[in-house]
Amino acid sequence: MASLHRSLVKLLSLLCGVAGVVWAETEVRRDDWSNLPRLRAKGPIRDVERQWWAFQPLYPGNPPRVSVGDVNPIDSWVRASLGAVHRTLSPEAEPQVLVRRMTLDVTGLPPSPESVQAFETACSTVGRDAAVAALADQLLASPAYGERWARLWLDLVRYAESDGYRVDDERPNAWRYRSWVVDALNRDMPYDEFVQAQLAGDELWPDDPLRARVATAYLRHGIYEYNNRDARAQWHTILNDITDVTADVFLGVGLQCARCHDHKYDPLLQKDYYRLQAFFAPLITRDDLTVSVPAEEAAHSAALSRWSATARPFLDAIEAIEGPVRVRAADDAISKFPEDIQALLRKPRGQRTVLEHQIAELAHKQVSYEWGRLSTHFTKAEKAAIAPLREQLRSLEHARPTPLPRAMTVTDIGPEAPELRMPRGDGEVVEPGPLSVLDPRPSTVDRRGLPKETTGRRTTLARWITNPANPLPARVLVNRLWQQHFGTGLASSANDFGVLGERPSHPELLDWLAKELVRGGWSLKHVHRLILTSATYRQASARLRPDGSAPDTRRLEGYPLRRLDAEQLRDALLAVTGELLGSPGGPSVDGTVPKRSVYTRLLRNKRDSLLGSFDSPEQFCSTARRNTTTTPTQALLMMNSNFVEERAAALALSVEGEAGLRPDDQIRHVYRRVLGRWPTESEIGRSREFLLRQTLRLRSEDPSITEAIPTERLALTDLCHALLNSNEFLYID
Amino acid sequence: MNDPRCHRIDPLVSRRDFLARAGGGFGAMALAGMLRTTAAAPAAHHRRRAKRVIFLFMEGGPSHIDLFDPKPELNRLAGQRLPGSFVRPITAMGEANSPLLACKREWRQHGQSGLWISNWLPHTARHADDLCILRSCWADGINHSSGICQMNTGSILAGRPSLGSWVNYALGSENANLPAFVVMQDAQAVVVNGARNWGAGFMPATYQGVPFASGAEPVANLRPGIGVSAERQSARLSLLEQLNREHAGPRAHQSDLDARIRAYELASRMQMEAPEAVDIGRETEATQRLYGIDRPETASMGRLCLLARRLVERDVRFVQIYHGAGNRWDAHSGIEKNHSDLCLSQDLPVAGLIADLKSRGLLDDTLVIWGGEFGRTPMSEKGDGRDHNPTGFTMWLAGGGVRGGQAIGATDDLGLHAVDERIHVHDLHATILWLMGLDHSSVIYRHQGRPERPTVNEGDVVRKVIG
Repeated sequence: MASLHRSLVKLLSLLCGVAGVVWAETEVRRDDWSNLPRLRAKGPIRDVERQWWAFQPLYPGNPPRVSVGDVNPIDSWVRASLGAVHRTLSPEAEPQVLVRRMTLDVTGLPPSPESVQAFETACSTVGRDAAVAALADQLLASPAYGERWARLWLDLVRYAESDGYRVDDERPNAWRYRSWVVDALNRDMPYDEFVQAQLAGDELWPDDPLRARVATAYLRHGIYEYNNRDARAQWHTILNDITDVTADVFLGVGLQCARCHDHKYDPLLQKDYYRLQAFFAPLITRDDLTVSVPAEEAAHSAALSRWSATARPFLDAIEAIEGPVRVRAADDAISKFPEDIQALLRKPRGQRTVLEHQIAELAHKQVSYEWGRLSTHFTKAEKAAIAPLREQLRSLEHARPTPLPRAMTVTDIGPEAPELRMPRGDGEVVEPGPLSVLDPRPSTVDRRGLPKETTGRRTTLARWITNPANPLPARVLVNRLWQQHFGTGLASSANDFGVLGERPSHPELLDWLAKELVRGGWSLKHVHRLILTSATYRQASARLRPDGSAPDTRRLEGYPLRRLDAEQLRDALLAVTGELLGSPGGPSVDGTVPKRSVYTRLLRNKRDSLLGSFDSPEQFCSTARRNTTTTPTQALLMMNSNFVEERAAALALSVEGEAGLRPDDQIRHVYRRVLGRWPTESEIGRSREFLLRQTLRLRSEDPSITEAIPTERLALTDLCHALLNSNEFLYID
Repeated sequence: MNDPRCHRIDPLVSRRDFLARAGGGFGAMALAGMLRTTAAAPAAHHRRRAKRVIFLFMEGGPSHIDLFDPKPELNRLAGQRLPGSFVRPITAMGEANSPLLACKREWRQHGQSGLWISNWLPHTARHADDLCILRSCWADGINHSSGICQMNTGSILAGRPSLGSWVNYALGSENANLPAFVVMQDAQAVVVNGARNWGAGFMPATYQGVPFASGAEPVANLRPGIGVSAERQSARLSLLEQLNREHAGPRAHQSDLDARIRAYELASRMQMEAPEAVDIGRETEATQRLYGIDRPETASMGRLCLLARRLVERDVRFVQIYHGAGNRWDAHSGIEKNHSDLCLSQDLPVAGLIADLKSRGLLDDTLVIWGGEFGRTPMSEKGDGRDHNPTGFTMWLAGGGVRGGQAIGATDDLGLHAVDERIHVHDLHATILWLMGLDHSSVIYRHQGRPERPTVNEGDVVRKVIG
C-alpha cells in the first residue's frame, strides 16, 4: 500500500507541477481514495443511508483497556488506535512546553514568566498530574478563557460589526452578542441553554433581556444591503442565510446543497432544507427593543414624559416642520421600489398577509434609513426655520434622559406563521420539521408557557437540537472542541459530517466525549478538563521517529505542532511586551488600541491587516476551521510593519527597565518573556555577540537616526524583533 | 437547471485542494504555488490561449448604449415612457417609468470589421479589429455592491473567492518574486466593497489579490520601518534564519516550518524585484507618451496601464485595474460631463496598452477585459442621467486567443434587456477561464464538504469568442 501511496503522490505532484515540494506523505490516507463518495439514488431515504455514522445514536461502548495505568479514557482510545499500528504516544512534554501550550490554548495568551515558574515548581512539588489538573482549573477559571474560546463561536456564526455591502454600515450594538458569548463561556453556561438562548431566547426567557434580546442576535449576523429594492428576493436571501448557518453550526451537515435539490450524496432532502427554514419563517428583525428590564424601561419612559412636558413647545414646533418632511422622505424612498412592493408598503397592515407584512417591514427599513438622515430632505426654508428651534432645544438637552441601550435582535412577527412553500414543483406547503433522516414527521409545536405574540417554532427547533436523543449536535460540538485543542477535529471536516466529509479518526472516542458532554450537564469546561489532563494532550510534540520517518499525527503519535492563529499572534505580541490592556470587554475598539483582538472592531469590508493576513475569516459564512497559510505578505508584515517594529521597541524598553543594562540579563529576560523558557548557554553567547556587533553597526550609521535612543537599546530591539519573528514564538509546540 | 452540475466531483481536478489538505496545512502548497516556474506549471485542462489577464474594471457602470451598442430607436422615442411591450425591470432608483433619454453621441463603424463605437472612445476605436464586443451581457445585481461582487466572484452575495483567486488557485504563480494576482486603482477613493472584491473568500489567504501602487513602496510593508537600515535589517534576518533552522531541526517533517523560512526568502526577493517592476521611469519617453502619461487628463490611468504591462511582462498572472475608483462611472445625473471626463481619462491609455502589448508580442497570450458591473438604462434619471442596467450591457475582450473584430449578441431596440445570445456573468467567467486553459466546471475547491466552482456551478463558454 505504501508504494501505491508513493506513486499516487508522484502522479499528483506531476499533475500539479509541484515536484520537489515536501509534504507529510503519511497523511495521504487510503480512505481518501477508496471512499470516493457515490451519488445517492433519487427518491426517499433508504435504510442503508440511515446507517451513516453521523446519524447513528451515540456509541454505547466503554473505553478499551489498553494499559493498566490509563486514568483518562481518552488515552485508552488513542492508545488502542496507535497500538493497531505498533505505535505509542510520545513521552510527556517538558513543563515549560506544556504550560505554554495549555495557556495559549485555553486563554489565547502566552504564559507570564511567573506562571511558568509556578508551574515548574508545582510539577516538582505536587507532581505532574496534580500540577496539570490545577493549571487546567486555573486557566479555565480565568476570564481570558471566554475571550479565547468565544472566537471559535464567533467564527461559526460569522459574527461581524458591519453590514458587508457597499455601505458597510456599522452595527453599533453587535458587540453585546460577543459579550454575551464571552460571558456564557466563562460561566460555563450549559450548551443546551446556550443553544436555546440563541435560537429562541425571546420565547423561552421573555423577561431576561440578555437571553431574550442579546443572545438572539445570533439570527442577525448575516449581511444586509440597505438599498436593495427587490425586497422579496432580499427576504429569501436572509432566510436562506439563517438556514445555512444553522445547519452548519448546530447540525454539522451540508444542508446548503439541498436548497435547490435533494443532496446528491447525503440523505438530506430538499424538503429538509425548507423544513428547517420553516422554523425561521415567522421572523422579523428588530432594532427598537432595549436590553433593559421592564422596571428600567418604565422609569425611563416616565422620565422622558416629564422632560418632554418641559420641552413641549420646541418639540411640537420641530415636529410641525419635520412631520411633513418625513412623509416626503417616505414617499421618495417608497417610489424607488417596484410597483408591487410600493403597493404593499401603502396597504394598511390589517389587509396584509403575514408574509406581505414581513416584506413590508423589511422594505420599510429603507424608509427608516431616510428618516435617520432627515436633514438631507429639508428645503432651504425648512432648514432655516428649524435651526433656531433646535438651538433652543439644545439648552434643554442636558436634562433629557439618556436613551436606554438598544439590542440588535429578532422576534416572530406574531402568533401566526406565514406560509412557506417549496420553491419548485407544485410549490407544496412546508411545515417545520427535523432532518427527515432522523425523524420524517413534522414537528409538533408546543406553545405551552410561551408568550402569546410568538409562534413557538424556534423553541421547538431549539428543543430538538438540544434533545440528547439527537446525536448530531453533541458530536459536532465536542469535535469542535477537540479541533481547537489539537488543530484537527476527530472528524476533520467540522461542518460536514456527511459523505463528502472525512470519517472520524477515532469514532468511538468522539461518541464517548459527546456522551460525557451530556452527562456532565452539557458543560464545556468538563470536556476541556478531560482533554487537557489526558496523556494524549500532554505528550511532547511530534518529532521524527528514530528511523527518520515521519510520525502519524492523525493518530496522535505526538502533539501536533500548530501556528498561533491571528488573534493569538496579535495578543501574544502585545502581551510579551507588557502592553496588553486587561479586560473587561464592552464595545469594540480600533486595532491600534492594545486590547485583546477579540475586541478589535470587525468590519467586513475593511479588515485589520494583521488579523486578515494571518487568516482570520472574512465572516460572510460560517467558518468551522480556519485556513493556515504561510505567505510572503505575512513575512513582509512581520519583518517591516510599524506594528511589529513598535512591539520590538516596547519589549526592549521594558526588558531594559526590568533586567538592567547587563546584556546577559537582558537576553535571559527576552527569552523568558517571548518564548517562555530560559536561553541555553550557547544561545546567550550568540545573542551577546549579536548585541555587540549590532551596537557597533548602529554606531557607524547615520547618527540622526539613532541619536534619540541609545544604540545598545536599538541593538536589543533588533534581538527582540528577531525573536518575535521566530517560529518558536509563532508556533505552539 | 434540471441537471445541477454542482455534485460532479472529479478527484483529479480537485487535486490542489486534496494535496493542500493531505499536506496537513496550506503552507507547503502555498509555496508550491509560488515557486512554480513556467516550465512546471501545465496544470491547465486544455491548451492555454491566455497566460495572463488584464481586467480593466470601469467601476460604477459605463453606459453601453452611449459607447458600444447604438440604438437609433432610443433617439426616436426619447422623451416618451418605456413602451408597454418592454418588461419593466427592478431598477435601483425606481426609474422604470422615467422618460427615455436620447444618446447624444456620434456613431461610426471602425476598422475592417466595421464595429460600431461612439465618438466617446476615438482611441479605443482604432483597435476595433482586436475587440470582441459582447453586447448581450447580463447580471443579477441591481446595485453596485452586488454587481461588483458578482463581476468579481460570480455571486451577488459576498464570501466567494474572486476570479483572480480562482485562477491563482488553479494555475499558481509563474513569478515567485511577485504576487500572482495584483490589484490597482486610479484614485485613492475606496472601491465599492473594498478589499473583498479581490479577497480569497473561503479559500486560503494565499490566493487573494495584492494591492499594488506605483512609487517606492508598491506593496504594503515592502520596506523596513523608519530608521531601520538595510544592513540592520539584514543582520536581524540572518539571526532569525539561524533561530528558525535550529527550531526546525528535530521537526523536519513539519513542512510548515520550512515554508515559513522560505516565505521570508521570497519576501526578501520581492523587496528587490517589486520596486523595479513598478519603476516606469525605465520606460522610454515614447512609450510613456503612448499611454498618455505626459498629459494630465490621462496620466493616472496611463501609469496604471503601463504598470499592468510591466507586471504581465513579468508573468504576473492576473492584473486588475479599477478605473473610476469610488464608483465614478455611476452617472445617475449629468451623464454627458461624467462620461466625457471618464472616457477621456482612460481611452488613450487603454488604446496605448493594446498597442504596446501588440508591438511586444504580448497581446497574443494576454487577455484584456474591459467593462463594469452593469450598463445604464435607456430611461433617464434626474433628467440627464441614467440608472443601473444589469439586464443588458456591454463588455469587451481583446488578445489572449480572442477573435477580434466581432460583436456578439444583442440587446433589444432600446438596449434595456439582452435578447440574443445572452451572456450571463457566469458565461463570461467560464469563457475567461476557458481562454486560460481551464474548464470552469473542473476547477473545484472543497468547502464545508461542498465542491465549489468559480462559476457557482453554472455558466457556459461563449465559443464564438475564441479565435
